[in-house]
Amino acid sequence: MKTNKMIINWSWREIWSGQLWPVMVALTLIIACVVALSTLALRVEKVMTNQGRALLAADLVMRSSNPISPSLVDKAEAAGLTISSQSRFQTMAFSEEKLQLVTVKSVETSYPLRGALNLRDGNEVVTHEVKPGELWLSPRLFSILETEIGDSIAIGDAELTITGVIDDEPELAYNPFNSIPNLFIHSSDLDKTGAIQVGSRVRYRLFLNGDLTSLAAFQESYELQPGESWVDQNRESRAARLMDKAKQYLSLTILMVILMAAVTLILTCLHYVRNRSETVSMLKSMGASRAWLRSWLTTQVLIMFAVAFVIGGSLGLLLEYLLRIPLAGILPKELPSVGAQPFVFAIGVALCIGLPALLIPLTRLLDAPAINVIQKQAVQYSKKSWWLLLLPLTALVMFYGTNIQVWMVLIGLLVLFVVLASLSFKFLKLMSQLKWNAAFSLALSRISRSPKNSMMQLAALSGSLMLVALIWLIKSDLLGDWQQTLAPYAPNVFSINISPEDQPNYLKELDKFELPRSDAFAIIRGRITKIREQNITDLAIYEDPEIRILKREVNFTWMDQLPVYNEVVAGEWTGEKTVSVEVEVAEELGIKLGDEMTFEVNSQPFTATVNSFRAVEWQSLKPNFVFIFNKDAVADLPATWMVSFRAEENQTTFVNQLARLYPTVTLLDLRTMASKVQGLLRQISWSLTGLAALGVLAGILLIFTLLRLSLNERKREITLYRTLGASKKRISNTLWAEYGLLALSGGFVAAIAAEIILFGLMTWSFELPTQWHPMMFIVLPLLAVLVVFISLSTVIKALLKPLR
Amino acid sequence: MSQSIISVENITKSVISNNNELSILKGISFNINAGESVAIMGTSGAGKSTLMSLLAGLDQPTSGKISILGSTISTMDDEQRAKMRSESIGFVFQNFLLIPSLNALQNVTLPMVLRGNEDESSNNQKAKALLKEVGLAGRETHLPTQLSGGEQQRVALARAFVTKPKILFADEPTGNLDQKTAQHVIELLFAMNKDQGTTLVLVTHDAELAKRCQRTLIISDGQCQESA
Ligand SMILES: Nc1ncnc2c1ncn2[C@@H]1O[C@H](COP(=O)(O)OP(=O)(O)O)[C@@H](O)[C@H]1O
Ligand SMILES: [Mg+2]
Repeated sequence: MKTNKMIINWSWREIWSGQLWPVMVALTLIIACVVALSTLALRVEKVMTNQGRALLAADLVMRSSNPISPSLVDKAEAAGLTISSQSRFQTMAFSEEKLQLVTVKSVETSYPLRGALNLRDGNEVVTHEVKPGELWLSPRLFSILETEIGDSIAIGDAELTITGVIDDEPELAYNPFNSIPNLFIHSSDLDKTGAIQVGSRVRYRLFLNGDLTSLAAFQESYELQPGESWVDQNRESRAARLMDKAKQYLSLTILMVILMAAVTLILTCLHYVRNRSETVSMLKSMGASRAWLRSWLTTQVLIMFAVAFVIGGSLGLLLEYLLRIPLAGILPKELPSVGAQPFVFAIGVALCIGLPALLIPLTRLLDAPAINVIQKQAVQYSKKSWWLLLLPLTALVMFYGTNIQVWMVLIGLLVLFVVLASLSFKFLKLMSQLKWNAAFSLALSRISRSPKNSMMQLAALSGSLMLVALIWLIKSDLLGDWQQTLAPYAPNVFSINISPEDQPNYLKELDKFELPRSDAFAIIRGRITKIREQNITDLAIYEDPEIRILKREVNFTWMDQLPVYNEVVAGEWTGEKTVSVEVEVAEELGIKLGDEMTFEVNSQPFTATVNSFRAVEWQSLKPNFVFIFNKDAVADLPATWMVSFRAEENQTTFVNQLARLYPTVTLLDLRTMASKVQGLLRQISWSLTGLAALGVLAGILLIFTLLRLSLNERKREITLYRTLGASKKRISNTLWAEYGLLALSGGFVAAIAAEIILFGLMTWSFELPTQWHPMMFIVLPLLAVLVVFISLSTVIKALLKPLR
Repeated sequence: MSQSIISVENITKSVISNNNELSILKGISFNINAGESVAIMGTSGAGKSTLMSLLAGLDQPTSGKISILGSTISTMDDEQRAKMRSESIGFVFQNFLLIPSLNALQNVTLPMVLRGNEDESSNNQKAKALLKEVGLAGRETHLPTQLSGGEQQRVALARAFVTKPKILFADEPTGNLDQKTAQHVIELLFAMNKDQGTTLVLVTHDAELAKRCQRTLIISDGQCQESA
């Protein structure tokens, strides 16, 4: 068939009047969502990778406890990689007045290879590299050492003049116990300090930049020597974990929106086929060949896909822009471009879902016999086109092949629905045996008379309601969890290394400034030496590289009472010379309640019996310990103290004053970091809420379509009732009763299913604590009834129109 | 015999309904010559529509042979019969059966498009002329829902004649119309039929209408009788 203008016009009209437009809307929705969300996800991914690298100061970093060998440097250069090296060590820095332990980072001019290094000198000029002879100090050091730019400072044997202050630097660690203020010198000045001697603890880093393949090849080909290790940006950081969860939510929402749009697509297509089979019979009676009909339908399908691609694609870009607005603060001004990938992806998804959803019913349409124009007949539809179902299935297998979670969700969903829909159907059937008023019993008998139909409706209704609920609930749970870990009153400054003599006055000082603070904790640094009388070096787990706690110094503390924010999961906080152990470490080390452990502090051994296990939320900014001892076990050991407190932005002077009063106390001011993370959370929350709203909208659209289609199918029956003299009131009451009952039970089923699936997702996928949402059991049925109310009232007039 | 445009030899038609075999036609034979007008009469449910659908190749007889224009359609497959219909057969149905998403003009040009005549302007010209002939000039762009029953049937007439079919099948074309409208439609039908010299097979239970045809076949009890 040459496509002539009439056919195209006609196809348009078929799409609009033949109820195919919801198909087009659903397709558009799929494409818009996939384009928007995958663009966003790709962008965020790229930004995260870039930020991760900025944090590392390079694409790839090798960490070593020995000087980087020149041969390695040569090899890296030969591989076409850009390199820069750093050595860092801890030493005392002396000003005129004060002294302080500092981390010296000696770097080359090329540092950093990634990320921002902002150095501000006395003339407020900002530069980005460290040159020979220069000395740059972190802001805290100025108050601790009571110095200014231009003063001299002694670092080891070297006397250097302060060039300026470090405003921003890569490699910022977020670890309250390891952060000692740092300063930058140029590597050519390193020897002058005399710090590098036999036995001094210097750590070396080699920074490497290059394209991904050469980096990977280099990393692959190099055999790590003892003391060496790779650091790359996949290291778990708090922000990365946060973004991971957000991304997980993003892809889950995409999946659900696609699922709902696919159901809309299938339902509307089936409806279309039922409606149009008469037209096809007519065309056949006039002599239309299958080939002609096929191209007639193809024209319609092509038009729909074309429109959906154009509108969906542009809508998707707009949507991505809108979702991005709240993220403006986090994302760099210059966004990484994502190319055509989201579009290709969207088209792929639309084809995988759209082709079977459209073509299977449409090929059935081709089987409508010509004789139907005279005498309606039951038709044996060919099942040839079912192979098209392989499209979405293979796509699923390819994408999620090994992701058991996704399969579990999909299969669980299916099972759940069959079970729940049949249960509520049975329930409705049971109800129908009771005495009701006329409208209700008529409605109930209608529902139980066409079980297949009613079950389909129930399943579709509760399915979409459940997805809507899930999208919203997961969002709320995620945000709730984040909000909790970053409560507005959480401590944001940590004071460590408080000497026992200073401790009482220090706390008094804090209370004088009225800064909300935690209790003070003793910190005793020591090692584990024996478990159940056995030397740890004899244990098999000692060789496990994953278990590091046996090979390093650990912070011990003692308490009278365990902190309320640690949940005791086994045992009891009682007894003399006892210790409470964090439950995951206990599992790692194979410790049981009642075991005796030996520890060592300053070569001084002592023992304690394990009396309890605790669950610890490490992410919360609260002081937490793996080992908490009873006081009598460790009371005589040398300890320093730590305390955390909350300081607002306008209380900076207090914090500085404290720093000056107690120069030996290390102050870790996490306020900027905490507010940065909080801002990040707020922004992500907005985007997620927007996303969730979108999903809910898609779901409601689906329910609405579903109800209208189902009501339209009643038209004939209702006309018949009218002809037989049933009053309008009677008919509308029956309809209200029937759909109301369906909505109520559908909502209830959805609430149960949502809770079950939410529990599974939260436990296994998001790894967050779960809670029940009793409100769901009221909100979902109500929402369902509301949507029923709206869709029923928009069509009921037309349904009850007098016959012509 | 060479003039015979439709020849029916001992056809039967039975259907399975509710697990029972129902014999609708039980051995029917007759011939219709080119240019003849033939009425098929019988009580409701006698099998008139069934017979017509067999003659027009919309369905297959259970046994027997039907030839149209010299070719045996009872052995043709669906596609061949569709081709035959588009080339040589026109229909008018009791319930009009216009395509709801096409306007009057497009409904009339449709059979030409199905035949492969893609020349839109000549199609439109022919269709307009026919619509004028049935008194619907100026209503070309109206959709079926915007037309009364009589008007819809007149569009259907224009559609049936636009391809100058050799045979026109009309299944109770006035069954859904009031008497006055029916009269008008019938006049048009016969006038156009005469103009084009079409062979007409008219299913009706109206004896007056049957009288206007040259021959009348009466179906009863699955058998067919030529009325005198
Ligand atoms: N496919 C079928 N299945 C069941 N019954 C049929 C079928 N086709 C026709 N019939 C029955 O055969 C009889 C003849 O139908 P029809 O030819 O439409 O009669 P009419 O003479 O009124 O046009 C009717 O009783 C009809 O119900
Ligand atoms: Mg009939």
